[in-house]
Amino acid sequence: MVTGNATVDLAGGHSGPPPREAGNAIVEMRGISKRFGPVLANDNISLTLREGEIHAVLGENGAGKTTLMNILSGMYRPDSGTILIRGQEVGIGSPADALRQGIGTVYQHFTLVPNLSVIENVILGTDAGFVLDLTESERRLKAMLGDFDLNASPRTEVRHLSLGQRQRIEIIKVLFRGSRVLLLDEPTSVLTPVEVEGLFSILLRLKTEGVAVVLITHKLEEALEVSDRVSILRQGRKVGELGSDEIAGAGRSATKGRIVELMFGGSPVGETERRRDGETERRKDGETDRRTDKTLLSLRGVTVHGDRGEAAVRGLSLELFAGEVLGIAGVDGNGQKELGEVIAGQRHLTDGQVVLDDVEMTNRGTAAATRAGIGYVTDDRIGEGCVPGMSVAENAVLKMVTRQPFSKGIWLNRKAIEAEARELVTAFNVKTPSTATRVTLLSGGNIQKLLLARELAMNPKVLVCNKPTNGLDVKTAQFVLRTLREQADAGKAVLLISSELDELLALSDRIGVIYNGQLLAVFPRAEADLERIGHLMLGGTDREKVPA
Amino acid sequence: MNGIDLSDFIAAMLATGLLRAVPLVLAGLGEAVAERAGLLNLGIEGMMLSGCFFGFWAAYHTESLTVGMLAAVAAGLVLGLIFGFLTISLRVDQVLVGLAITIFSAGLTGFLFRDLFGGQNVSAAVDPLQVAIPVLRDIPIIGEPFFDRQLIFYLGWGLVPVFAWLLVRTRFGLNVRAVGENPFAADAAGVNVIRTRYLAIAIGGAMAGFAGGYLAVADLKIFTIGMTVGQGFIALAITMLGRWNPYRIVVGAILFGMLRALADGLPILGVDVRTEFIGMLPYIGIMLGLVVLAGRTALPAALGVPYARGQR
Amino acid sequence: MTPRGRIVSAASLTPFVSSLLAIGLAFLVGGIFLEARGKDALLAYRILFERGLGDADGLTETFKQMAPLLIISGGLLISLRAGVWNIGLDGQFMVGALMAGVVGAALVGDVSRWLMLLAGAVVGFAGGLVWATVPALLRVRWGLNEIITTLMMNYVGLNLTSWLVKGPARDKARVAPETVKIPIADRLPAIPGTEVHVGLIAGLVVVVLVAVLFRSTVLGYMLNVLGRNPRAAIHAGLPVGRLTALALLLSGGFAGLAGASDVLGVQGFFKANWDPGYGFTGFALVYLARLNPVWLVPFAFFFSFLLIGGESMPRRADVPTYYVEMLEGLMLIFFAAAVYLEGLYAPGARRTARDESEPIVSPSGLVGETPTSVLSPGHPQGPSVVPSGDPS
Repeated sequence: MVTGNATVDLAGGHSGPPPREAGNAIVEMRGISKRFGPVLANDNISLTLREGEIHAVLGENGAGKTTLMNILSGMYRPDSGTILIRGQEVGIGSPADALRQGIGTVYQHFTLVPNLSVIENVILGTDAGFVLDLTESERRLKAMLGDFDLNASPRTEVRHLSLGQRQRIEIIKVLFRGSRVLLLDEPTSVLTPVEVEGLFSILLRLKTEGVAVVLITHKLEEALEVSDRVSILRQGRKVGELGSDEIAGAGRSATKGRIVELMFGGSPVGETERRRDGETERRKDGETDRRTDKTLLSLRGVTVHGDRGEAAVRGLSLELFAGEVLGIAGVDGNGQKELGEVIAGQRHLTDGQVVLDDVEMTNRGTAAATRAGIGYVTDDRIGEGCVPGMSVAENAVLKMVTRQPFSKGIWLNRKAIEAEARELVTAFNVKTPSTATRVTLLSGGNIQKLLLARELAMNPKVLVCNKPTNGLDVKTAQFVLRTLREQADAGKAVLLISSELDELLALSDRIGVIYNGQLLAVFPRAEADLERIGHLMLGGTDREKVPA
Repeated sequence: MNGIDLSDFIAAMLATGLLRAVPLVLAGLGEAVAERAGLLNLGIEGMMLSGCFFGFWAAYHTESLTVGMLAAVAAGLVLGLIFGFLTISLRVDQVLVGLAITIFSAGLTGFLFRDLFGGQNVSAAVDPLQVAIPVLRDIPIIGEPFFDRQLIFYLGWGLVPVFAWLLVRTRFGLNVRAVGENPFAADAAGVNVIRTRYLAIAIGGAMAGFAGGYLAVADLKIFTIGMTVGQGFIALAITMLGRWNPYRIVVGAILFGMLRALADGLPILGVDVRTEFIGMLPYIGIMLGLVVLAGRTALPAALGVPYARGQR
Repeated sequence: MTPRGRIVSAASLTPFVSSLLAIGLAFLVGGIFLEARGKDALLAYRILFERGLGDADGLTETFKQMAPLLIISGGLLISLRAGVWNIGLDGQFMVGALMAGVVGAALVGDVSRWLMLLAGAVVGFAGGLVWATVPALLRVRWGLNEIITTLMMNYVGLNLTSWLVKGPARDKARVAPETVKIPIADRLPAIPGTEVHVGLIAGLVVVVLVAVLFRSTVLGYMLNVLGRNPRAAIHAGLPVGRLTALALLLSGGFAGLAGASDVLGVQGFFKANWDPGYGFTGFALVYLARLNPVWLVPFAFFFSFLLIGGESMPRRADVPTYYVEMLEGLMLIFFAAAVYLEGLYAPGARRTARDESEPIVSPSGLVGETPTSVLSPGHPQGPSVVPSGDPS
């Protein structure tokens, strides 16, 4: 992708950046605190950003990284603390203020308006007179687009661009205004590894131009790859800061261990590292795969369209056997959600067949799929999985309210519903004041446990889970994964869709890789390793090197 | 046909149709701005009705067209700002607030008309400033309908390209489009979402009031209770049919203006149809239009959705 | 699930603070407006209360007035709970009223009084239902949002009934365009011991049915799910299209039944250009009752006496009846503001940023998180004022 001569020599960057003098501090955040209800999201955090330095802010989900960045970008106001820019204390009350101070942000969920053109997006919010004069801006923008290896026309509507291209437009948009501080929130989460390399080369170049770059991430490897300085947040507090001398060179692997300890505190390093650090141990008993030869679910040549009418899953076939966990790996947005939904009956097949335990299920709808024994845990817990205004009990029976004993004919049996809910809450250790509590008052982890309990209560033959541990704390995540394993061991078939390779490797009997709506390969766990999966996730063919 | 010349009839239909289209165009232009900014204004009917009454009331007392129109615009503007306060600042449901404003306006104008005019049908003695454009007005058939009109008629049509320009070529228009599509993105880019939406609804309200003023002051010179009979809602539907493009809104408005003119015209031609029967046509036409266009429109993604920074 | 068995608990009363506040503010601001217009506001309000509540005669009228309001708002509540905007109540009401008037008058003398009345009620319900079928079909088949289509159907209904009553359905023996009169002796009988016709009982029955629907039935549960989170309804495999259509049809049917009740019980015939405009009153009523069926009754009583009392205001206080409509609008406006305040001060309302923030009066959901359009929504959306003090 990035082959232009403007690209900085990445290899040099990797083996240890040359020692640099620390640039001048542009931004100093001092003693920043921010509270949301009972949660202290930022607790007295101080951070200094310097010219020509890439500063990674590292932490687990929920450690307070995004809050901290949102304070600097003007989305939130801090409860206490001060922000200094070039030594001057400033108040940042809105994103417009931050932009005026030269602080530009690339948010995790991109902030381009899809049906405006590139140029319109770039000049949006700049002040240059009432009547739009695009000629001068367009000239400047064209030059920048060339600089960033983008051959899109300024007049193209943004919705026609790929995610990687959009991200560069975001960066251009920030630089176009002359921002000297660039904040990036989890910029790699939507990118393929090739695109990640492209992004990093851009960041390294900006660094040489004196821009202060902040890289917010929960991925340790990434942070170490390009950063000059790493700050580690944990539970709202800054627990450590490492300079380039500690990150670079020989000390790196020792540093890694230290960072993991800082990120996760007292928790056993082996455990967390297994989940977070990519250095996955094999499942202790996991060399043999435990699937039986009984096919529970088969998809044959399934083609499905996504929300925007694009073919999201194309001619995909797979077999799911009783007793196994089949992991589906892939970069987000390669048809995983649609795959889960088509099995659950929520999405219409335009071609192909779904067969459950020898029963034809093609396009028979959600209710039929549920009745036939397909369980589906959605990745959108609150938006789709539950009814916010309703109680825990009412949510617990959402999918089985028409069954005995929860209803008889047209009548609800509230006693039975209540009893069932209590049973599920106890069995899955859902922390809730009562079953009458509104479900939205529960934490994400407890909602997830409830949704899982709800599916298992219907005793499905096949269970499809899309990103079941997303955003959960380690303990709950492990509970969820253990439950899935138990289900498979009890003779069910589990399809685990996830982008967390570690949990896939830890749990699955077989692993398939989805790319661009197609299943590239399915292989037993014993033959799977990170490199092979990672290579496939980028669309490479199996057993072949990525072209350099 | 009982001896009426067909070309005269067509000219008359065209003339009436254009006349009937003006309030729809005016209200529709304002609504286009509001909707593009993410505000579905069901209060448009009430704002138009208030424009009718307050415009008429001011014109009746001052015998001035200008004062009447200004009062009409002011009435729409005030209601627009109330709508804005409740939906933008308090983030209350837009449909609920829109209906509330329409109900309130119906009551208020009915009350005031009864109270101030005793329910009598009086007319305002305003001079609508007829302007005939030389030469052009002598073109057969289209001459009279297009070029022998009140000043305000030309003004109304003149606003169409102005709004098209405003939405596409100005910073304000760009902000409006961004705010209706992705308010978070607009905010992050430094656009003041709240202010942009307030401006949009102010324009929407003012234009609805203007439309009402045109109806009651310039065109009919009288007020009757509930005189808008759903024209505000029709303007809203036409705006959606025209997908917020001022020129397409004009096409829709003329089409429905002609349908209404037909209701007046057919009996003159001696066709035996009850006016109520033809009166249904515009409304049925709107629904048919919606069916035809179903699926081919993309609404502003944030239409109807309030914005609060930090909540996504 | 709130504890069953108690209709009113202290906790279920709190949401009505907003409603009462809205009513109070509307009266206050309305009163100031009256004074500014040189009226005697206190006198006007005294007459309002005296006429609507003060004597047996007024109370009788108020109770009579409750019948159509209870029926129409019971139906509206079903659709709003399901997240479906039925703004076409007036059209449905008119069509139902006309059909009941025509069929009732045609049957008088041929069949027994009760059978005639029953037939009138049934065709009234059917008329409203048929009128709601159009937007329901457009919604389910073509995905057209019901807001615009129900609005348009109002005006079609208004014109259609007006055309019919001036043409085919007209009583040729009379000068004014009206349907044939149903003799007083054949209209809805009075509740024994009162002069209030049994339409009131029908209205109470409707409310009870609606309350039972949402409290105890699977259908009510499903409609609630649909109204609160349509995506969850799809996820759970509920028959979303059928539920949406059913909500519209039921509310349309009840609007038609309300029309039948007015024609069979009070008017005796349908006359041209008669449009009591209960649709808007119904909206104000259902919202102030916080979409809670039980609370429809006191609020229907309240709105009834406003309407009845308002009729006496022009003569005795020189205040046009339109004042009541204005009050309704003010109440809704203040209600909207009060609900916002409620969100700020309710216990536990301090939401964390991470918490799913549940909008106080949620976005009309014209467009939800998934891009959809008013013209062609992907799945049902609509109003979802989150009712607190919810019986279910």
